[in-house]
Amino acid sequence: MLIISSRKKWNNITLLFPIILFLFLFFLMPLASLLLRSLTEPTFGLQNYAQLLATSTYMQVLFNTFLVGTLVTVISLLIGFPLSWCITLMPKGWGRFLISIILLSMWTSLLARTYSWLVLLQSSGIINKTLMAIGIIDQPLEMVHNLTGVIIGMSYIMVPFIVLPLQACMSAIDPMVLQAASICGASARTVFFRVFLPLCKPGLFSGALMVFVMSLGYYVTPALLGGVSDMMLPEFIVQQIQNFLNWGMASASAVFLILITLVLFYLYLKVQTDSPVSSNTGA
Amino acid sequence: MLLSHGSLGWKLKSSLYVITGVIAAFLALPIFFIMALSFGSSQWLVFPPPSWTLKWYERFFDNPQWIESAWTSLQVASLTSIIATLLAIPASFALVRGKFRGRDYLYTFFTLPMVVPVVIIAVAVYGTFLNLGLTGTLFAFVTSHVIIALPFAIISIINSLRLFDKSIEDAAVICGAHRIQAILKVTFPVIKPGVISAALFSFLVSWDEVVISVMMASPNLQTLPVKMWSTLRQDLTPVIAVASTLLILLSLFIMIIASFVRKQSNHR
Repeated sequence: MLIISSRKKWNNITLLFPIILFLFLFFLMPLASLLLRSLTEPTFGLQNYAQLLATSTYMQVLFNTFLVGTLVTVISLLIGFPLSWCITLMPKGWGRFLISIILLSMWTSLLARTYSWLVLLQSSGIINKTLMAIGIIDQPLEMVHNLTGVIIGMSYIMVPFIVLPLQACMSAIDPMVLQAASICGASARTVFFRVFLPLCKPGLFSGALMVFVMSLGYYVTPALLGGVSDMMLPEFIVQQIQNFLNWGMASASAVFLILITLVLFYLYLKVQTDSPVSSNTGA
Repeated sequence: MLLSHGSLGWKLKSSLYVITGVIAAFLALPIFFIMALSFGSSQWLVFPPPSWTLKWYERFFDNPQWIESAWTSLQVASLTSIIATLLAIPASFALVRGKFRGRDYLYTFFTLPMVVPVVIIAVAVYGTFLNLGLTGTLFAFVTSHVIIALPFAIISIINSLRLFDKSIEDAAVICGAHRIQAILKVTFPVIKPGVISAALFSFLVSWDEVVISVMMASPNLQTLPVKMWSTLRQDLTPVIAVASTLLILLSLFIMIIASFVRKQSNHR
């Protein structure tokens, strides 16, 4: 074994070379040059950042981005929790059926789903019509091209990303632990809040963090379902480039988005302790 | 008790089931809704439609722009799937089998394109390709799609490779097989489901990709989602419902193949 170990090291480098070269050329280099542009365009210096911080539109955009991210995370948690719980409770077949609905929704074209919501939520759409027919409202509700539309559409897209980790976490909980708590005299409410919920925390936390990060970077859904006044950071970046050819401003805001994303991703990795590649050092 | 089906109070149980039913409908209905609307006769997407028709499908298939963009999508997605899988296979072997420092960092690096917002990747690659005069080419579409497909390919191959007991391959080598031969004849058949799902999911990632494609597209070369995007920005014509239905059906088809492959591998 010792004799071939040096050759092995070589092998690893050869095996990894193509993908590293590819990602270096087409991912890292473009990313680095984009980030550099925030310092060099139009002239060298920090003026892009200064300008961003001085622009009230940009502050509004930042505020919108975090508002939408927070609301979407909370709503998809509220929807995802009972769903995950039910999947865990149900007989296997039904649970699997629900999971496949979730996977279907997750892997269905984002554009198709957003288009569907656009049609569903429009003022002459079926939701408004039904509500008016029942008599809950007299006037059609404005549900697209505003914050409501963005929140509904985004939460719809994010629910699967809560349910999958949370359900995995719940099904790993030993029901006996909960039973032990109730035998020891805890009420159902106490068992839920003091035992069940804390045990779900890893799943809740990783799901929520992932959804929050993803919401900050979403472009398609906010662009189609949102209005002009609730622009988010990704839309702002694209607009700076496509409409104003202002690469400096776009890059400076991109730097900001990347920084938040990477910090949150680092947190996410810290939460998830087991490594996907290193844990199998059995041999 | 909160996790066992039998001992939950009927009140809690029934309310949980009702909530779940509503959520499941919320998740599934928009997809079927849009498929149904593609057959509806109403220009304004009234639901339920006054009558059923195939005219939007005729519009779709009569318009060379839609057909060409669908064809481009198919080409880009196939090439992306092949290239991403070919890049991911050797890398997964090195990551799972290799005993060198920094494997975790490399793994994180390979999955980074899944973490960095797609918008940033789109803008970055667009900037570079614009300077090189490469936008609007098949090359630009495929390379940019491979970037975001790689994490999915890597993850699914690594997962199947980790479950494979390497001593079986070593046994083949000890019995006189060449290492390459052993990998092809012993290891590959076992990890095949992982490789196939890597290819399928890479295909799907590319097939659905909007943001990057919008940046890479030119008037002469666009994918189906780009054509949908630009049409959608003008009006909500039911022809988009037709395109959506085609996207959904292909995704569904690929998901069914993927679950079939997984089932087969479980039977072994």
